[in-house]
Amino acid sequence: MNTQTPIKLKTLLPLLQAEPLTDTDDANLTGCYISDLLSDVLAYARPGVLWVTIQTHRNVVSVAAMKDVPAVLITCGRKPDPQIVMEAQEEGLVLLSTKLTTYEAAGKLWEAGIR
Amino acid sequence: MNPTSSLLAGSGTTEKRRISVAQVLVYELRVRDAMTKEPVTAGPTDTMRTIQHLMKTHRFSGVPITQNGCLLGIVTIEDIINALDKGHINEPTERWMARDPVTLRDHYSLVRAVAEFDRYGFGRFPVVDGSDKLVGIITRGDITDCLVHHLERRAEEAVAHEAVLMAERAADEKARRVVVRTQIKSGDFDSAGKVSQRMRQVLRERGIDPDVRRRAAIIAYEAETNIIIHTIGGQITATILPDKVVIDAIDEGPGIENVDLALREGWSTAGPLARELGFGAGMGLPNIKRCSDVFEIKSEMGRGTHLHAEVMLEKARMVA
Ligand SMILES: Nc1ncnc2c1ncn2[C@@H]1O[C@H](COP(=O)(O)OP(=O)(O)OP(=O)(O)O)[C@@H](O)[C@H]1O
Ligand SMILES: [Mg+2]
Repeated sequence: MNTQTPIKLKTLLPLLQAEPLTDTDDANLTGCYISDLLSDVLAYARPGVLWVTIQTHRNVVSVAAMKDVPAVLITCGRKPDPQIVMEAQEEGLVLLSTKLTTYEAAGKLWEAGIR
Repeated sequence: MNPTSSLLAGSGTTEKRRISVAQVLVYELRVRDAMTKEPVTAGPTDTMRTIQHLMKTHRFSGVPITQNGCLLGIVTIEDIINALDKGHINEPTERWMARDPVTLRDHYSLVRAVAEFDRYGFGRFPVVDGSDKLVGIITRGDITDCLVHHLERRAEEAVAHEAVLMAERAADEKARRVVVRTQIKSGDFDSAGKVSQRMRQVLRERGIDPDVRRRAAIIAYEAETNIIIHTIGGQITATILPDKVVIDAIDEGPGIENVDLALREGWSTAGPLARELGFGAGMGLPNIKRCSDVFEIKSEMGRGTHLHAEVMLEKARMVA
């Protein structure tokens, strides 16, 4: 779940075919966690991971902030409301959107060496 | 020798404490603080009869005999009794006074004065200053009075000081106590996380360990979402104290039918809308329990549920 050396999020954008919705700046990742269930993320995601989900509700921002998750990749081409993107920006949370399914995104992340 | 014990001996703990303060005082206070200043004196040519009258009117037991302010001797009540007995009451004092009496210096500490009283067994000492001028007279009674007076003053000061300290402490505690309270409406998913967020902010300002902050935030968030999803409404209160965070989530019903079942991981009655938004893993209550140092849940069907959780801050600070 956690890689040894942090990876720069920016370097993964082309691979994930990800569109940044907020400033991506220099976010670093120490791993990845995949879940669409908020309580599950609250229980098991470690600080510093990229969270991959299809959820787009405001609660995603709350949960990510609570767990010190620096970035959320939203799959299947979904995009949250602009209001929520703004809230994420204020929280310093990076939001990305990709056309890939969660499964495809997971495969790419694995190939990129993220454990 | 314990000089104060002979003055203020007493039994019981308060007396014992007093003596320790008195012990400090006998070193601090000087003979000049306790003595009677400008004592009544007589001259060497005054008669013993004059002294007898002085003693009667002023209730003295000893009168210093001086000339130009310098001490020549002292006439005590015993000398007067002898004079009456032996028939020389009308003779001048210079014939019958005790010459060159033992004196105390006005700058001596009271502890030294008490030692001198013990050593000589006298009832009184004339007190002289640095140039041997008579400046006062002192008895054991004067020392006791002086100590009692100063003890009372110290006691009053201590009580006043204590009161100020307690008021400051109370104000301090109050300032360190923050209460965050929000009413929560059924189905209001957009408002989830309000208490949690505010609480996290206060804890961050207080420099609380991130892990502890996170645990408190998760408890509040899960409790808030449960009220939104599963109840007709309620209120959540987070009280941030110097040593812990106390979270109380109270709703108006419907209550939990089987609390043991609800606490089981994976058990959920969340409806389709809640599930669509990412709720309904059946992990909220287990999360709360895992994050709490104190966890209680009371529920009554038709009345509602009261969830109480506490997270200790001190313990975490030690770890951090
Ligand atoms: N305040 C409450 N009032 C009534 N029922 C409740 C309350 N809190 C929890 N429950 C019941 O307990 C079950 C388990 O709650 P829990 O928080 O563990 O999971 P959940 O809310 O269903 O899902 P999750 O929290 O994982 O999103 C709920 O589905 C619900 O039936
Ligand atoms: Mg829940």
